[in-house]
Amino acid sequence: MSKADLKAGLFLCRCGANIADFVDLERVASVARNRDDVAFVKTHDFLCSVAGKEFLRETLENNIVDNVIIAACSPKMYEKAFQKTVSDAGMNFAKVSMANIREQCGWVTKDKEDATKKAQMLINAAIKRSAHNENLQQQSMDCLTDIIIIGGGIAGMESAIVAANAGRKVTIIEKEISLGGGIIKIEEIAPNMECAPCLLAPRLSAIKEHENITVVTNAEVTDLLGFFGNFTVKVKKKARYVDDSCIGCEACFEACPVSCASDFHLGMGARKAIYTAFPGSVPATAVIDRKQCLHFTDDSCDACVASCPFQSIDFDETDEELEFSGGAVIVATGYDNPDSSLVKHLGYGAIENVYTMPEFERIASSNGPTGGNIQSSNGGKPQSVAVIHCAGSLSKEGIPYCSGICCMTAFKVGEMVRKQSPEAVIYNIHDRLVCSGPQEQAFYQKQVDEGTNMLKVNSLSSIALKKKKEKIEVSADGITSVEVDMVVLSTGLVPAEGTEKLAEMIHADTNSAGFFKADHAILHETGTTVDGINAAGCCIDPCNSATAITRGFAAAGDAIAKLIPGRKLELEMMTAVIDEDICGGCKLCIAVCPYSAITFDPEKKVSVVNEVICRGCGTCAASCPSGAATAKHFTNDQLYAEIEGVLYE
Amino acid sequence: MNNFEPKIVAFVCNWCSYAGADKAGEQKLDYPANVKLIRVMCTGRVDPQFVMRAFRVGADGVMILGCHPGDCHYRNGNMKTLRRFRLFEKMLEQFGINRQRFFLDWVAAGEGKKFQEVTTEMTERVRNLGPLEIKGFVEREVG
Repeated sequence: MSKADLKAGLFLCRCGANIADFVDLERVASVARNRDDVAFVKTHDFLCSVAGKEFLRETLENNIVDNVIIAACSPKMYEKAFQKTVSDAGMNFAKVSMANIREQCGWVTKDKEDATKKAQMLINAAIKRSAHNENLQQQSMDCLTDIIIIGGGIAGMESAIVAANAGRKVTIIEKEISLGGGIIKIEEIAPNMECAPCLLAPRLSAIKEHENITVVTNAEVTDLLGFFGNFTVKVKKKARYVDDSCIGCEACFEACPVSCASDFHLGMGARKAIYTAFPGSVPATAVIDRKQCLHFTDDSCDACVASCPFQSIDFDETDEELEFSGGAVIVATGYDNPDSSLVKHLGYGAIENVYTMPEFERIASSNGPTGGNIQSSNGGKPQSVAVIHCAGSLSKEGIPYCSGICCMTAFKVGEMVRKQSPEAVIYNIHDRLVCSGPQEQAFYQKQVDEGTNMLKVNSLSSIALKKKKEKIEVSADGITSVEVDMVVLSTGLVPAEGTEKLAEMIHADTNSAGFFKADHAILHETGTTVDGINAAGCCIDPCNSATAITRGFAAAGDAIAKLIPGRKLELEMMTAVIDEDICGGCKLCIAVCPYSAITFDPEKKVSVVNEVICRGCGTCAASCPSGAATAKHFTNDQLYAEIEGVLYE
Repeated sequence: MNNFEPKIVAFVCNWCSYAGADKAGEQKLDYPANVKLIRVMCTGRVDPQFVMRAFRVGADGVMILGCHPGDCHYRNGNMKTLRRFRLFEKMLEQFGINRQRFFLDWVAAGEGKKFQEVTTEMTERVRNLGPLEIKGFVEREVG
């Protein structure tokens, strides 16, 4: 059948008086009835009502037409509902075109005569466009339903548990030697002072025992291939030199003659060359620090081998290259603490008893270097502590942004110090304070009530520290100088080391601060800019533990809701396609595609759209110089017909 | 010239500006019936040939309205449109079409008022320019 012979059924909706009062529908109908390309014109009071849709369905069942034109409200309102009704009547849903004669015609045109003419043109355009309509079919593909999680902090762990409990196989890839991320180094979480190890322990144990979860530690991602529904993640698992028969009994720790600074204690405590991060770590397996171990440095020692009751030591172990497949990836790589150079101007590194917040957290932790005993370098309990807010933040030289969570942690210092030294004097020296919501505000008030001195400075840059005998003097514009035993610098959070590299590897964008850019800041905060790669925790932006966990939950929930065992992944229908017979291989489409959905087939020398990734924006179709790229349902023919249709009959 | 009613085609993206036009409707913010909308999923879909075709088949003015920078539903299609049509505007004059007959702007889904304003202004601007006459590509409307 030639295009000229196609016939459309035209439905006009009065929308009560909402259209009928503004557009002369009788005239529209009588003119349209004379068209060769219109089979019939039907008018209804409320086409979107149950009776209206029934009328639509019955009319289409009794009158065979090629296309359906519905002149009514905005397609944003009921296009989907009408498409369904038309499908129910046995036609392809893509055969429906709507003419928006309410919001974009009757309601915005003062003169009824003008509105009627405009409505006729919009209907004309819809009819002409419809002559080029083509059926659209729901496409689907098989997908993997396993989940790969990069990062085993609180957010990644939450994602793992959620997905594993839903029956999905989960692999956690962690760069450190055991799980826990940032939160494992903290004792209590502000503002409600929940015990962090108490939150973590059941999660660690759930993961350890979960048959659906595989944990790969001491490992880094080296490549990521594939797309939503079918990813392959390549991983380098570094040699541990201790096999997993090790239960973490620590017998070897005593045997090992090497003592070196502990990363876990941020250099403030010691560990052996064979070590675990802390007792009860998951996995419990110890690891040998190759740079420190005398066996590796000069082959002079193998004391641990003899001490091990399980023969777990294996000096010959080598790095492994592993591959994992999954339908979705969750990035939960967390944050880092800023480089100490950012707080050098505040005496850090030069004045004794000036600590960064993460260092204070370690000192105050029961699994820390002092066993949770908050003490100065001379071993005494500090009787006065100054906490400096926004240390290294809100400045061009440092972190330009507010991390949003540090005020609460800064208030926590006083809370924790007072617990051990009730008479201690606390100063919270700040410019701005962030206390959002009732709980945070209450925590602030509690500190004030319990004696913390909130000192507001005129400018952060005026804060200066000076050693004064055994004390530290803190001065700033707007406050009277104070002398204290200890200073804690409340530092912000920066993107985890390697974030940029990982982002590049997975083709995800980062935001201006260097964290992973959210797919949408409001609608999809836990998605990266790559479909199927979600993000959880602080790798999107600094957040508190509660939000990190919620993001972990959301990232996993989103993934498992889309990847359902036994069900195919439903794909976008209005994708782009490239005709390989026409494509000249110029790759312009590859350059403009916002989703990296187009790849180049080097053998055929043509561009190919991956319809799994394509979202149907049509930018490639607009850029293609040879007309090889077509945006389905928004084809050149459809749009040319519509352009002509709004301009003349 | 006073009776001249220009024909104006506006390409609008589905997510922001089409919704902005709907918003104008919901708020009953009237604008000239001269402006007729064509919906695309993203302004990135607007091929310069669509604009040329519109001029050739009778449009006196053409608008492209998309999401504000940073708000694009498809990440950055609007920015690609911006780049594409900055170049296009220069070419337009070579085709003998005053570049004031073409207008690119951003209208968010909530900006019914802005939609009313830009379409009203465009209609007045084109009304003042008079009908577009293209008699082959050699005849020029501009210097």
